[in-house]
Amino acid sequence: MELMTSDLLQNTFMCELCGLSTPYTYYGQKPPNTRAIVLLEECFVTKDPFSPDKERFLVLGSKCSLCGSNACIGSDCSLFYTTRFCMRCVNKHLDQFPTQIQSELMKKKQPSNPAVP
Amino acid sequence: MDRDQRRDRGGDWDWDHPQCRAQLDQIFFRQQDYIQAGSPEHRDFWTFFERFQRFRTRRDVRGPGPGSSGETPGGGGTRGQRDLGLPKEYDARYRINMSVCTGDVEERLGSRPPGSGSSGSRPPGSGSRGPGPEQIADCRLAYLHFLDFTQRQSFGKLARLRRDQKNLPIHQYRDRIVDLVRRHPVVLVAGDTGCGKSTQVPQYLLASGLSCIACTQPRRIACISLAKRVSFESLNQYGSQVGYQIRFETTRTAATKLSFLTEGLLLRQIQQDPGLDQYQVLIVDEVHERHLHCDFLLGVLRPLLARRPALRLVLMSATINIKLFSSYFASAPVLQVPGRLFPIQVIYQPIPPEEQASRLEKLDPRPYLRVLQGIDRRYPPEERGDLLLFLSGVAEISTIQEACQVYATHTQRWIILPLHSTLSLAQQDKVFDISPPGVRKCIISTNIAETSVTIDGVRFVVDSGKVKEMSFDPKAKMQRLQEFWISRASAEQRKGRAGRTGPGVCYRLYAESDYDAFAPYPVPEIHRVALDSLVLQMKSMGVGDPRSFVFIDPPPAASIQTAMTYLREQGALDRHGELTSVGSLLAQLPVDVVIGKMLVLGSVFNVVEPVLTVAAALSVQSPFLRSAQHNPDCATARQPLHSNQGDPFTLLNTFNAWVKVKGERGGGSRKWCRRRGLEEQRLYEMVNLRRQFKELLKSHGLLEAAPPPAGERGQRRERLTERRKLHQLKREHDLTEGSRRKVLRLGEEGEGGSDSGSDAESTDRRTKDKDRPGQSTDIQEVKFKLRHNVSELQEAALASQDLSSRQQSILKLVLCRGLYPQLALPDEHNATRKDSEQVFHTRSKQGVVIHPTSVFASDPEVLRVPEDEVRELGNAPPPSLTRHQLLSFVTLLETNKPYLSNCVRVPALQALLLVANSVDSNADCSRLVIDGWLELELREPDGALKVLSSALSLRADWERLLLARLGQCQNQGQGLGRGPGQGLGQDQGQGASGAGVSRKEMDKLSEGLVRFLLYTEVSYSLRRLTAFQTQNLYVGPQAETEPPQNPLFPGVEAKPDPIKGGLRVSAFFTYNCLADARDLYSECLRTFWTCPTCDLYMPFTPLERMQHEAACRRPGELQDAAAAAAAAEGSKAARSLAAPSLTRVYHCDVCDEDLTLSSTEILKHKRQHMASLK
Ligand SMILES: [Zn+2]
Ligand SMILES: [Zn+2]
Repeated sequence: MELMTSDLLQNTFMCELCGLSTPYTYYGQKPPNTRAIVLLEECFVTKDPFSPDKERFLVLGSKCSLCGSNACIGSDCSLFYTTRFCMRCVNKHLDQFPTQIQSELMKKKQPSNPAVP
Repeated sequence: MDRDQRRDRGGDWDWDHPQCRAQLDQIFFRQQDYIQAGSPEHRDFWTFFERFQRFRTRRDVRGPGPGSSGETPGGGGTRGQRDLGLPKEYDARYRINMSVCTGDVEERLGSRPPGSGSSGSRPPGSGSRGPGPEQIADCRLAYLHFLDFTQRQSFGKLARLRRDQKNLPIHQYRDRIVDLVRRHPVVLVAGDTGCGKSTQVPQYLLASGLSCIACTQPRRIACISLAKRVSFESLNQYGSQVGYQIRFETTRTAATKLSFLTEGLLLRQIQQDPGLDQYQVLIVDEVHERHLHCDFLLGVLRPLLARRPALRLVLMSATINIKLFSSYFASAPVLQVPGRLFPIQVIYQPIPPEEQASRLEKLDPRPYLRVLQGIDRRYPPEERGDLLLFLSGVAEISTIQEACQVYATHTQRWIILPLHSTLSLAQQDKVFDISPPGVRKCIISTNIAETSVTIDGVRFVVDSGKVKEMSFDPKAKMQRLQEFWISRASAEQRKGRAGRTGPGVCYRLYAESDYDAFAPYPVPEIHRVALDSLVLQMKSMGVGDPRSFVFIDPPPAASIQTAMTYLREQGALDRHGELTSVGSLLAQLPVDVVIGKMLVLGSVFNVVEPVLTVAAALSVQSPFLRSAQHNPDCATARQPLHSNQGDPFTLLNTFNAWVKVKGERGGGSRKWCRRRGLEEQRLYEMVNLRRQFKELLKSHGLLEAAPPPAGERGQRRERLTERRKLHQLKREHDLTEGSRRKVLRLGEEGEGGSDSGSDAESTDRRTKDKDRPGQSTDIQEVKFKLRHNVSELQEAALASQDLSSRQQSILKLVLCRGLYPQLALPDEHNATRKDSEQVFHTRSKQGVVIHPTSVFASDPEVLRVPEDEVRELGNAPPPSLTRHQLLSFVTLLETNKPYLSNCVRVPALQALLLVANSVDSNADCSRLVIDGWLELELREPDGALKVLSSALSLRADWERLLLARLGQCQNQGQGLGRGPGQGLGQDQGQGASGAGVSRKEMDKLSEGLVRFLLYTEVSYSLRRLTAFQTQNLYVGPQAETEPPQNPLFPGVEAKPDPIKGGLRVSAFFTYNCLADARDLYSECLRTFWTCPTCDLYMPFTPLERMQHEAACRRPGELQDAAAAAAAAEGSKAARSLAAPSLTRVYHCDVCDEDLTLSSTEILKHKRQHMASLK
C-alpha cells in the first residue's frame, strides 16, 4: 500500500539548537490579521494555540542573522537585539553585546547558585 | 496612592483617567486593530501598562544602570571578529522583534510636536486635547513590551508542552511505531499507564502523513478529553482536523483527519459502511479492558481486514495478555513500551479473622484506620503524598469514610473524599483539588480510579482486593451485583496508581498467597452480561450466526441462546432467528430492547412526547442523588415531582419541571436542581438522548417531521447572533477549563454537609473568577442552548405535563408493553406486612423487594386493593376483586437483596390481556392462565367473555396499526412479516403493508384501549400458580384426532394446539386448553346470546361468541373498516381471527352459490339452513 507523506512535514519549523519542532503556518514579516503590527525579521509563525481568540499569532523562531540556522525564540536558543542571533553566535561574539545582556547571560549560566549577589 | 508618581512627564496628562486611556485606545485599539478596546486582552494590556510604568519610574529614579550608556561594547573587529554593528547604547526596545505602525492615525489626530503638551492647566484628559507624542510613544513602547511578553508567555507554554511530549516513554519509539504500521496490517502497542500511547500514537501517525484515522475508546468522556488534548498538543494546527464523535455530539467535519469515538459508535458506522472505507487507520485503544463492544469490534474487524488490505489496525493495550491479541490477528507484531512508574513498595497486611466482616455485616474499619495511623507515624506531614483506597462498593465506601472522618477530624491531618459514579459530578471533581500543606487527601474509591479516573499526587494505595461486578443470571432473568476478589492484573493496576508522580507504597489487605490465587485477568464482560443487545446488533449487521462468530474469547453458547430466545419473545427475531422489521428498528436504537420497544409503541399513539422523555430518562443514571434523600429540605422540594403512578412518571415530572425552569430562568436551573438534590448533568443527558430518539423516530417515519419553525427573520437573526456568542463562550471555556485547581479546606468534605458545602464552594468559585471571561459561564447551559430550541422543548414539556387520566393510562400501557415480560405481582400477604417489608414475585424470581429509591417504597399503600373493596367482598379466599395491580419494572438487580427499580403500577387483568405472550383459558373462559405463571379466576363467565373478546379485538387492531405504521415507514424493510412471532408487531404474521394509518383509526384504538383500561369492571382473583399446578396445567393434545367441532369460520385458523391442547385462536390466545375441574365439552356450553352490535340472537359457544364479536361491528364502523381493508388490498392480513377481513367469497353447499359475506353473515346464513332443516 502507499502511504503518502503529506506536505505537513515541509511546513515544520525545527530549532537547530534545542530540537523543538512544530508546524508553522506562515513565514515572513507580516502574519495575517496582525493589522498595525509588523515583524522586524522574517519569522516562522503559527496561530497561538493558547489564546481563546483564534486570530492570535505566535512567533516560533527565525533564522540567525549570522549563521542562518533556524533558532526558536526561547532564551536558551536565541536572542533578538536589533536582529536575531542564535546562542552559538551570541557566545562567539559576546563581547560586542551590551553589558546588560552579557551579565544577564552570565547569571543564567550559573542558575544553581542562589547566593546573594 | 501617590498620584503624582504615576502622573507622567506630560504634566496634567493622567494615565489613570479613563478618558486619557480612551484617547490612546483610539490610536492603538480600534475595532479593526489586532487588539480591540473592551476585549479581555485590552484589559490585560492596561494592567500590564501600570506595572510597566511603575517599573520604568523605579528605574528612572535609580538612574541609568551600570553600563547602560557610553560603554560601547566590543569596539568591533577585535580578534578578527566580525563587527555586528550593534547600537552603541543599550535599549530594551532593541530586544523586541516587532513594531507597531500607527503613523496614519496619529496624523489624522493631528498630534502636536513634543513639548507643546506641557503648558496650560486644563483638567486632565479633557477631550479637547489629545495625547502628546510622548504619551503615544510611551503607550507604544508599553504595547510592544506587552506583545513581546504575551509572545514569550505562549511560547513558554509551547516549549514546555514539547518537552513533556519528548519525555514520554513512548517518544523514543516514535519512528518504530510509524514504520511498523506502514509495514503490517495489524500492530499491537502495549504500554502501561503513563507511557503516553493514547495521546501520542495518533499524533505520530498523523504527522507521518496518514489521515482518516479513527481511534476508539471504551468511554465517551475519554473521546472528548483525548480529542481536546491531541488537538491542543498539535497546536490546533490541524484545526478541525482532530475531532471526536460520541452519542450526542460530533465535532467531525470534512476536514477531520483524526477522530476519537466510542467502540459502539464505530460498530454503528460499520453498519452503514461495511468496509469502513472512510478510514485508513483504525486505532482500538484499551483492548485489554475487554469490553463487550470492543471484543465484538475486534471480531468484526478481523474479517474486514482481509477484505481491505490497505486498512491499518493498531491495537493498544496495557501490558496484559498481549499474546491473546497478537495471536488473534495472525501473530501481529507487538511493540512493548515500558511505563513510567516509580518504584512501589508492596506491603501485605491481611485482615485478621476477627476483623473480617461476614457477608451481611458492615465492613470493619480498623484495618483501614491502621494504615492511616501508620502513615502519620512514619511520614512527616511535610512530605506530600495522598492516599487512594480501593473498596468494592458504595456502601463499603460510606462505612470506611465515616470511620476515617472521625480520625481525620481528630488529627486534622486528613481530608476524606469518596469517589464513585453515583456521586454528583461536582463531588467527584473534588478529588482533583489540592489539599493544604501538612494535610493529605484520602480518596476512598471504587474501581473507577483503577482505570477511568487518574489522580495525580497519590503516594499511598490501599487495596482491599475486592470488586463488585455486575453479572447476569439468565435463570432468574436478573442482574446481580456481586463482590469478587480482583484479578492479579487489577491488583497491579491499583498498585501502579501509587507510583505515578514519585516512589510509592501499596498496602494490600490480603495475603501474598491470596494474590497468587487471584485469576490472572478480570472476567471479560462478554462472559458476564446479558447478550441481548449484542446478538441483536450482530443480526442487524448480518455477521452470520452469532453462535459461530469467531470472538477473541467466545461467550458460552448458552448465553447466546438465552439472548436469542429473549429476542424472539420480544418480537425482534422471528421463529427462524431472523430479524423482524421491529428488530431491525430496535437494532438502530442505541438503547435496551425494552426501551426501544417503548419508543416504537409510543409513536402509534399521541403520547410520543412523554414516551420520548421517559425512554430517555430510563436510559441514563437517575438524576436523583442518593445522598440528598435523607436531607429533609430536598425531600420537601422534591415532593411535588413525585407521582404515585410510578417512577417513570416522577422522572417525567422532573424533566418537565426542569425544562420549564430552563425556559424561564436559564442558568438558574442549576440552583433549582441543587435544592432538589438533582444531578443536572443527568438532565442534560436526558435532553440530548431525547432529541436523538426523536430524530431516529423521524428518520424511520414513525414521527411526522415538524414543520420548520415559522420564526420571523428578525427572530432568526437574533438566534444566530446568540449562537455566535454562545460559540465564543464555549471556545473560551474549552481553553480555560480545568486549568486551575482549588485548594481544599479541612473539614470541608463532611458528608452530611456536602450539599451545602458544594453550594458555597461553587458560588465561591464564581465570584472569584468573575473578571475572567468564560469562567463564570455555566458551560452546560451554553451547550444546552446551542443544541436545543428551548421554546420547542417547552412545548413538548407542556404537552406531557398535565396528562389526562386517559393519556396517563395509555402511557402506562405503552411502558408496560415495552417492559413486558418484566412484571411483578404483589405478595398476597403484603397487607399484613410493614411498609418496608413488602414482597413481590416475578415469573422467574420469587421474593423481590422494591428499591428504596422507588416511589412505591415510600408509598406502598397505592399498590394495595382499596380497603373498602376488600371489606365489601369479605375474606373468602382467594379474594375476588376488580382492582388488582401489577408492577411493571425496568430493572431487577440483586445486591444484598433482589431489588426492583423504576416501577409503574398497572391494572392487572387489563394489562395482562393486552400484553401477555400467552393467555390460556378453560372452556367457559372463567379461568385464565397467563404466561404459565399467573392464574386469574373470573367470577361471572359472561363478563369474562366480554373482557376477553374486547382484549382480542383491541390487540388485533393494535397489531394491525402498528404493523401498518412500521410497514409504512420501512417498505423496503427486510424481514417484514417473515412469519408469525410472538411479541411486538408479530401477532399477525402478515403485515398490512402499504396500508396507511389514519389518525382517526389510531384515535379510535386509543379510545378503545382507554375504555378497556379504565372502565373494565370485572371481579377476579389473581395468584401465582404453584409448581405442582404448573405441571398439570394443560389438557394436552387430544388423542381422538377429530378436528375441532364445527369450524365456524373456514378462513380462521383456529388450529388445535399441539402441546397444550385446546384451540389456538390467535398467536397469544389458546382456548380451552386448561385442564379444568369443570372441563365440559365446549360444544355443550352453547348458550343463547344477543350480540349488542348486530342484534343477532342465537346460541353460541364462548369461542363462537368471541369470534363473532371480533368480526361484528356497528354498521357505521363497518364502512370505515371496509375502506381500510380495501386500502390494504392484496395483503393477507385477514388470515387470523384477530384481523378480520370482513367479507370473503363463501360457497354455500346448500344453496350451491358463491356468496360474498362477512364471517358473521356466513354464520347467520348457515344458521338459517340449520333452522330450516329442523
Ligand atoms: Zn530552540
Ligand atoms: Zn547563529
